[in-house]
Amino acid sequence: MTGGKDGVPEKSRQDKTSSDSDNPFDIWLKRGLHQLFDDVANEPIPDELLRLIEEDRDERSS
Amino acid sequence: MTSFHDQVIQILPKLRIQALSLTRNRSAAEDLVQDAVCNALAAQDSFIPGTNFSAWMHRILRNRFISDLRKRRETTDIEDVPASSFASNATHEDSLALKDLSMALSRLPADQREALVMVVVQGMSYEALAEATGCAVGTAKSRVFRARRQLEAWMTGDLPANDKLRVKVAALRATLDDRRRKGLKSDDLFTF
Repeated sequence: MTGGKDGVPEKSRQDKTSSDSDNPFDIWLKRGLHQLFDDVANEPIPDELLRLIEEDRDERSS
Repeated sequence: MTSFHDQVIQILPKLRIQALSLTRNRSAAEDLVQDAVCNALAAQDSFIPGTNFSAWMHRILRNRFISDLRKRRETTDIEDVPASSFASNATHEDSLALKDLSMALSRLPADQREALVMVVVQGMSYEALAEATGCAVGTAKSRVFRARRQLEAWMTGDLPANDKLRVKVAALRATLDDRRRKGLKSDDLFTF
């Protein structure tokens, strides 16, 4: 897609609400949000948190 | 059938996204996820197997966030939160626009930001969002719609010239351009 100034798409006249909108801004927004949030989802789970869950599992099963 | 504890582990990445969308801060998000998991483990007997675990877990995290917020009587706004909180180590050409988006996201009300992220990033349906956040489907749709259009207005400059965020972004851009011309780093600009 073609971006506007500074990579942000020009304002569209379309006004769709679905998450699969073809509004250029919504497409750009989806890509931007993934860039901001995907890293967080893919980071390894802290050992401390996993240990907490496993300890509770062990307690419940014993 | 997947055990309760396995379900908790499987949903952790999604809880992190929800937590970051609410707190706007990675460290606070990690704490919120851990607290929500503790609450869920303590309340696991109240979960009815076969019902919607995802919605149950997202609601626990959301309630914990609201509860913490009330305790702290927090009135944080963008002035108190680093613009780089949402991430990202983007070095590509649109990183400046991404930082603008990060700042604009921080200005959204937490419920709109959460709704937008859960639908757009996690691919959640409006019905699932409504169940996970304890609201009507119409309210869920409305939150996402308003978040999109508010961000569009901010990011495309469809705002009065005296809008504070726009003025701030313009000032940041000018400073960045100036530093770039002088060959200076600009990382410190994003930790207000």
